[in-house]
Amino acid sequence: MADTAVVAQTHEIGDDPHAHAVHHATNTGISNTKLAMWLFLASECLLFGGLISTYLLYRNPLPGEGPGPHEIFDIPFTSVSSFVLLMSSLTMVLAVSAIERGDHQRLRIWLAATALLGGVFISGQVYEFTAFYREGMGYTTSRFSSAFYTLTGFHGVHVTIGILMLLSLLFMSLRGNLPENKSETVEIVGLYWHFVDVVWIVIFAVVYLIP
Amino acid sequence: MAVHHPPQPTVPAAVLDGAVADYPRDRRYWIVALVLGGLTVIEVLTYVFKDSIFKEPYVVTPTLLVLMALKFWIVAGYFMHLKFDKRLLTVAFYSGIVLAILVYLATLTVFRFWWPTSSGVNCSTTHEYSAINPDCATPKP
Repeated sequence: MADTAVVAQTHEIGDDPHAHAVHHATNTGISNTKLAMWLFLASECLLFGGLISTYLLYRNPLPGEGPGPHEIFDIPFTSVSSFVLLMSSLTMVLAVSAIERGDHQRLRIWLAATALLGGVFISGQVYEFTAFYREGMGYTTSRFSSAFYTLTGFHGVHVTIGILMLLSLLFMSLRGNLPENKSETVEIVGLYWHFVDVVWIVIFAVVYLIP
Repeated sequence: MAVHHPPQPTVPAAVLDGAVADYPRDRRYWIVALVLGGLTVIEVLTYVFKDSIFKEPYVVTPTLLVLMALKFWIVAGYFMHLKFDKRLLTVAFYSGIVLAILVYLATLTVFRFWWPTSSGVNCSTTHEYSAINPDCATPKP
């Protein structure tokens, strides 16, 4: 809107990639991109809330429908996966910290580490799904299996999208297209990544651990 | 051998987006990660010692829910910087969470998720059959 009193755009100073950004005030005091990401994450809570609720309702298969959660879950294995994803949040926040002080080498290291840890988590999920399938739990075996695969599968897709975004950032950085005055881009991808982590914190407790 | 650490100045708010007071230094992130790792270990211990005190659902379930909420709050507060950003972001995010919790608590109630026994539940009809309910563990004619 042309008559909007507040402008949320960030303008760079000339073409100097190391110049600090000049920020125009918004009526919220927050950049619109960041606010939009937070609102998107809030809406994602509703998506995952629905999937978790459905899982809770259907977590016990009907008699003769196949294995139940406590017969099939491998808690030690999932615990390691959870720890890996948790540590990827640390590497992500260190990447944000690195770009904010203009340390591009460490930015790349931490971005690559985060993507790698995310890849390890996804590999674990693929292994878990394969093991469950071999034990006779397909997607349509029972209402429990459908709810479980849908919930954890949706989360896995989110992690995969996060990895693609991290690799894009890494590629941009290697090409010199990610100066520190664009640190908010890394921060916003970081927000998405941490959200994926907090969703797994809930899934790990509610789906795997609570009897 | 002395290890050289690059300087880690506190990031001035103007460099970011104006929404930030001061983000913490890397050392604090490592400490937070250590705490999160510790909480995860406690969570896993409830499974390891599932035949001891954690055998009781009224012990293990609240314990795990509290640990889960604590980990959630720590990641959102420190790694997602909610603790250091403008309050509006906290309000926006937690509004979504509270709304989601209320909506799905209502949904679970409608589906009689909280009924531990057969009171009010007729297991003989398919649409009211609930494997959540122990009294409905086997289909009745």
